[in-house]
Amino acid sequence: MTKMLPLEDGYMIIPEGGGEAVRLLGSYSKAADKTYFPIRKLCPVTAEPVETVDLSPEGMLYSWSFIRMPVMGRRKLDESGGQGIGQIDLPEGVRIQAPIDGRIGDWTIGMKMRLAPHPVVTDDDGTHYCGFKFVPVRAEQ
Amino acid sequence: MNRDVYVIGVGMHRFTKEHIPLRDMYFTAGMAALNDAGIKFRDIGSLYNGYIGGAMMEGMGYAKDLGLTGVPVVHVENASATGSSAFREAAWAVSGGAADVAMALGFDDMMRLRMGRKAPRTPGGKRLPSMENLMLPAGFFAMWAVRRMHERGTTIETFAKIAAKNWNHGRFNPMAQRRADHEVTAEEVMASEMVAYPHTAMMACAMGAGAACAIVATEEWARKHAQGRPMVKVAASQSQSEHYTEGHVFMGAVVGPPSLTQITSRLAYEEAGIGPDELSLVHVHDAFPIEELMYYELLGICGEGEGDRLVHDGETAMGGRIPFSTDGGLTARGHPGGPTGLAQIWDATRQLRGEQGKMQVDGAHTALAHMMGAGSICLVHMLQRV
Repeated sequence: MTKMLPLEDGYMIIPEGGGEAVRLLGSYSKAADKTYFPIRKLCPVTAEPVETVDLSPEGMLYSWSFIRMPVMGRRKLDESGGQGIGQIDLPEGVRIQAPIDGRIGDWTIGMKMRLAPHPVVTDDDGTHYCGFKFVPVRAEQ
Repeated sequence: MNRDVYVIGVGMHRFTKEHIPLRDMYFTAGMAALNDAGIKFRDIGSLYNGYIGGAMMEGMGYAKDLGLTGVPVVHVENASATGSSAFREAAWAVSGGAADVAMALGFDDMMRLRMGRKAPRTPGGKRLPSMENLMLPAGFFAMWAVRRMHERGTTIETFAKIAAKNWNHGRFNPMAQRRADHEVTAEEVMASEMVAYPHTAMMACAMGAGAACAIVATEEWARKHAQGRPMVKVAASQSQSEHYTEGHVFMGAVVGPPSLTQITSRLAYEEAGIGPDELSLVHVHDAFPIEELMYYELLGICGEGEGDRLVHDGETAMGGRIPFSTDGGLTARGHPGGPTGLAQIWDATRQLRGEQGKMQVDGAHTALAHMMGAGSICLVHMLQRV
């Protein structure tokens, strides 16, 4: 099975074997009862300690665009002519920005989106180094 | 501010995509400001160089072309707000008594920028981009625009009208990077290539190179060097980084939450004792038209949700109630980075002195200059003719 690793540590977990869902890592502040992404060293509101938590893999699309720019890790536009991007609100009160699957017409503000790994660089041994993206749940079904 | 501060000289090298050595542009802008003020470089008590990219001590090297006077020189960097931040440092140096005369000189070439870190590599030697580089400014502001369309029913035509206005303001600015040879229409803007829905290429700010300079001084110096012109007082200088908001975006938030502009401008109005209804003209970080539209409301120029009406009624165009981006703004005058905020001060100062010819706002007495810096930071300066 193809091995997938995060581009950088501390942002997401990609479980081996594909049995579990990919998830983002955030920080929860008990003092403020707020969650943040990515991980904070202290609560930015209270300056109290925070604990690392897994964030929900699904959220709602807050906004989107389609930009005429190569996808991350590429220097040239591919045949799609660009990429979708979105802001996704997770139930914890966190807003995430990420590439989104699809094209103009596929997205509606408020629609459900699901986190997925986003291979950016593939090494010579076949290992995929991944960022993350969101996929419209409707399109998956 | 502890002591009143005045702008006594401004100068620019035009913004351009041509390759002109930055050292030459730096010198041109600096000498233009010194000549405008009627002073010599030896009179400068503190110098703040603003640039984003570039080599270590680059500005220090360029400053030697102006003279070796022993003046303290500091490099200021705050992304797009670099020039505005250099201006604020200069103003505070005078206000605080560290210098009687201070210079802020911004220069840059956006095409040379190398943002971010040295990339780590895979075991196979392939470069790994940073997670933090997931979002580009064009995409970030486009998502503001799509959300605005969803919440307020704003149309692409509204964005196009804002951009066309700024292209047309830039037509008469000799320092502008984009000087259209005809009246630009909203239809033309909408017909240009879509780069980040709903923004087209003609809605995106012009990226290039350039330099701009402002010299600030005490009231005594300002009176001595007024040369019969109205004096221009720095009525407010405010800067804020982000405050936490619900749904706060930490990663890839180019300019932080919209409330940043609201908070900073309210502090500026309070400092100046001047409200938004008393402004003659406004400069904003109009990298994309959604920004200018939202800043109408966040700066208190109109009520929430009323920005679209301002555009369609022409209230923010030359001749309107409150002209925005009178020199073409980032859209047409350009956005080289380091000097951008100082180009706003160049136009605002000359507007208040009644020197802007075809760009002149009749009877201009108070100007507001707003700038955002990625990361993010907001600066608001208010200048007043006295």
